[in-house]
Amino acid sequence: MKKRNDRLIEIVVITTGISSVVTQLLVIREFLSQFNGNEFVVALILFNWLLLGGIGTMLAKMAGKGATTARLSGLSFLLVALSPLELFAIRELRAIFFIHGTSVGFYPTLFYTLFTIVPYCLVLGFALPYSLTVVQRLTPNYPGTRIYITDNIGDVTGGALFSFLLVIFLEPFQAIFFANLPLLIAAFVLMPRAKRRNAVFVTGVAASFAALVFGLSLERATLAPREGELAYYEESRYGRIEVHKAFDQYTLFLDGVPLFSSQNLTLAEETVHYPLSQLDTAMRILVISGEGGIMEEIAKYRPERVDYVEIDPRITEVQFRFDLLKRIPSLNVIHQDGRAFLQNTEKSYDAILLNVPEPDTFKLNRFYTARFYELAKKHLRPDGILLFSVEGIDNYLSDAQRQKISSLYRTAKTRFADILMLPGERIFFLCRDEPLNPDIPKLLEEKGIETTYIKGYFYGNITKSRIERINHEVMTDAPINRDYAPNMIRIMFSEWFSQYASSPDLFIALITILCGIYFILITREEFVLFSTGCLTMGSETLVIFAFQIFFGYIYYQIGLIVTVYLAGLLPGAFFGERLRKRGRQVLMMTDVLLIGLLLFFIAAVYVFGDRLPQGSFLVFGFAVAVACGCQFPVALYLRGSGQKAAIQSFSADLIGAAAGTLIASVLLIPYFGILWAAVALAGIKIVSLVLVRTGHEIHIQT
Amino acid sequence: MKSISRRKFLTTSALAVGTTLVPYRAATAFAESDQKKDITGHIFKNDAPESLWKWSREVGHYQKLPGKKVVCGICPNSCVLSENDRSICRSRVNKDGKLYTLTYGNPCAIHLDPIEKKPLFHFHPRSKALSIATTGCNFRCLNCQNWQISQVAPETVRHHELFPEAVVKKAKAHQAVSIAYTYTEPTTYFEYMIDTAKIARQNGLYNLWVSNGYINPKPLLELCQVLDAANVNLKSFSDALYRKLNGGRLEPVLNTFKTMHEQGVHFEMTTLVVPGYVDDPEMIKSMCGWILENLGPDHPLHFLRFFPRYKLDRLPPTPVSKLTEFRSLAMKEGIRYVYVGNVPGHEGNHTYCHNCGKLLVKRTGYHIPEYNLNGSRCKFCDTEIPGVWT
Repeated sequence: MKKRNDRLIEIVVITTGISSVVTQLLVIREFLSQFNGNEFVVALILFNWLLLGGIGTMLAKMAGKGATTARLSGLSFLLVALSPLELFAIRELRAIFFIHGTSVGFYPTLFYTLFTIVPYCLVLGFALPYSLTVVQRLTPNYPGTRIYITDNIGDVTGGALFSFLLVIFLEPFQAIFFANLPLLIAAFVLMPRAKRRNAVFVTGVAASFAALVFGLSLERATLAPREGELAYYEESRYGRIEVHKAFDQYTLFLDGVPLFSSQNLTLAEETVHYPLSQLDTAMRILVISGEGGIMEEIAKYRPERVDYVEIDPRITEVQFRFDLLKRIPSLNVIHQDGRAFLQNTEKSYDAILLNVPEPDTFKLNRFYTARFYELAKKHLRPDGILLFSVEGIDNYLSDAQRQKISSLYRTAKTRFADILMLPGERIFFLCRDEPLNPDIPKLLEEKGIETTYIKGYFYGNITKSRIERINHEVMTDAPINRDYAPNMIRIMFSEWFSQYASSPDLFIALITILCGIYFILITREEFVLFSTGCLTMGSETLVIFAFQIFFGYIYYQIGLIVTVYLAGLLPGAFFGERLRKRGRQVLMMTDVLLIGLLLFFIAAVYVFGDRLPQGSFLVFGFAVAVACGCQFPVALYLRGSGQKAAIQSFSADLIGAAAGTLIASVLLIPYFGILWAAVALAGIKIVSLVLVRTGHEIHIQT
Repeated sequence: MKSISRRKFLTTSALAVGTTLVPYRAATAFAESDQKKDITGHIFKNDAPESLWKWSREVGHYQKLPGKKVVCGICPNSCVLSENDRSICRSRVNKDGKLYTLTYGNPCAIHLDPIEKKPLFHFHPRSKALSIATTGCNFRCLNCQNWQISQVAPETVRHHELFPEAVVKKAKAHQAVSIAYTYTEPTTYFEYMIDTAKIARQNGLYNLWVSNGYINPKPLLELCQVLDAANVNLKSFSDALYRKLNGGRLEPVLNTFKTMHEQGVHFEMTTLVVPGYVDDPEMIKSMCGWILENLGPDHPLHFLRFFPRYKLDRLPPTPVSKLTEFRSLAMKEGIRYVYVGNVPGHEGNHTYCHNCGKLLVKRTGYHIPEYNLNGSRCKFCDTEIPGVWT
């Protein structure tokens, strides 16, 4: 009976892992659709999630003697019910807390994300150590590590299930339904037969199931726009695609942000004619993503071939369907990451028109670096031209905007002889080795090309003095934006903060104080686990960042990296369990291994760059995860396998992971570059190594 | 294992319901308050710079209060400032019981713009305006185009030094016929604006005020003495929307229109049609009714297309058909000159005679390829066209 119960609890733990990982990934996607999706926000959401999980874990200390299988079962029902409710709350409460149609700054995002995920994360964090408490009450010598391994099995399964199946075929509430069904069944089976007729139990099962089913009907209802109607909705693997129809206008939203509109003539004319008017002939044109209406403008040059590159096939399908992109005779659509396409193609072009959003994520920053401009130039004919643009107004450039355009100017200037910035709806950068002429209307007149906006408004809006002024604003000491040192992300952070008249200082101070207090309170072994969690998430961020630079944002491969990171923890924990009696020695060896792996990997990235095989990223991720996974059972053994020790160890791992996510994404990589980020992560592990080396083994379990 | 007692079950249920209801009630209360959301700015306590600078002047429109407090009299915000406090618009500070402006002679934006860009369609077409702005605004519009200068303090930006005489000199050097006080909210640099305007007028230049109209009657009357034309925003016709999207109130803006009308200043009105907010035909109908009743049919009205900007960046642009509909609606209600802005090539860019309906001014952007007025009269039917044409 005991063994049966142990096994049932393990099944509950696995299914909780599946449910929680799927819910976590859906919640992150949901937040990205509701808020600005910059690197700060992504890190913040993960940080909040892990931190609350850590706090939930600590709360499990209070469970003690009252822990029963029946209550664990009830806890699982609660978790099942909270999963769809959490998603529903994120969507619905936004309009209550914030003004419809607005984006919000750092602190509102911080509080909103915290507020909406508190119930789920606390219960989730509580559930794992509680399971251990229950199972240890039934089987006192049940090893704590086993629960850790069991949880990992669930996490890996959930991660793989989401990345390769659910996100592709299902909408969020459907995915929640399927990911939580196994947990609901497992919790039902776990409940002792005598309790199954109990009113509370029946209510719990019914409420959880009802929440899951009810969620299925909420998908479109919770997405309906206030203005116009929802003409199309789909969850692509890259984000949420919505098309809103208002009168005869269609607007495509990606993750809640209006991306392309069927009636934005001004932007279409600026994007196309500013660069193409400079050329004698514009026969071969490469367009990387694009505003509605640009193809009609390009067609005026009668090009031989227009290659349109868009990473997400669903977006182009929707663009064609709603007339946001016209099919012109020479158009050739390519579904690939724009940068990866340039890396692999042999073609050359007269013009490359880059229309990707602002460089506020690692994924997008790749299109604004010296290496990208070099790639673009390699694929341009000698008199060819590159165009890209960023947000900014021309009446006055704030310091952050000035830094942004200066950095972009100086970065592009490392590869092109002449750069011309034209202010307008956005600030346009024309990059070429031949001289550039700012008198666009005159050039168009000479070519006999008719326009509406440029012809009527250019001379009034983009006067000679405005052009001169913006080109004189360039700061000669602005940093060059490089692949390995993405300065632009830092500048984008400061622009984002200035937009909301806000500063991250308070948050940083608070986190530092809390970390300080935490470090004083924890044991050496807990610090080892803290640093392990920190290194796991930090190095995962680094690996994904480096992978994207070389191979583009390839959905499946990145999903695979995340899965490998989770999967490596399993054999690691297995080895750790076997080697735990060597205690400190194993911790030191794995610390040295982690430091070595990290430094070796970064050196390899620097030396070999894109010649590194894609598999090496997976091998590295797996090796790091194995080493990290190995440390948990050992540290737990050294702390003693009691309930309190296990709980504190789980917490340390989660809180470390939270810290690693935050410092790698928003501090180390943007401010110090990839090399120093790796050194800093290694540094944290060196501290851990020193602590292990100088400490005494506190507890040896026999 | 002990099963739960009925009493315990009831207590647990009550607790569960309670814990669900409390946040629900809090959320509903929030939802209700959403209707009253108000983003009006706040005074910045103890935020005045340590000492005044070269571009500071004691202002005219304010009252001294006991305890070295002052109350600013320039706009309906009526900021009550203790010593070293800064006003909502960030441009005025209380130093030693006196109210000072920090924006006198230090514009951060100076450009030469076509007058049509303001937009002013019935005032000296084809002319150029030297446009200036210092920092500051008494509103907090969520879609502000110029937030980098309107929502910051003067000492935080790079600025020029251009005192009133120099502004006039610069305008003349650039062959501008007018000076436009624009981009941010010129009411916040009232002293600089009015001193410049007086000299400009003496030098034969016109003064243009591009504003949100949030100004008190007394300074407005003073301004009207030197003002030649204005474009004033009528951001919506709902006090709730004014508070929610702009951080202001409707009534004072309506009073501004009435005063300018009484004072005989030429002005045009601009309404940005924000999807989901300022796009209700009934509201536009009421607005037109008020205009006709209080200002008459002759003041041009511009409906501008909204584009996602600043904090209001998760809305679609205004559908062109909506603007066309509003133009027709306003004209049907009786407003004679209704325009559509931010839509290149739209029929609503042109001026048609309200009497004979013929094309008077054809606009392709800022160009005027066709102009059918004799002085201020329609070339075809000799009807007087409201505005200042020559």
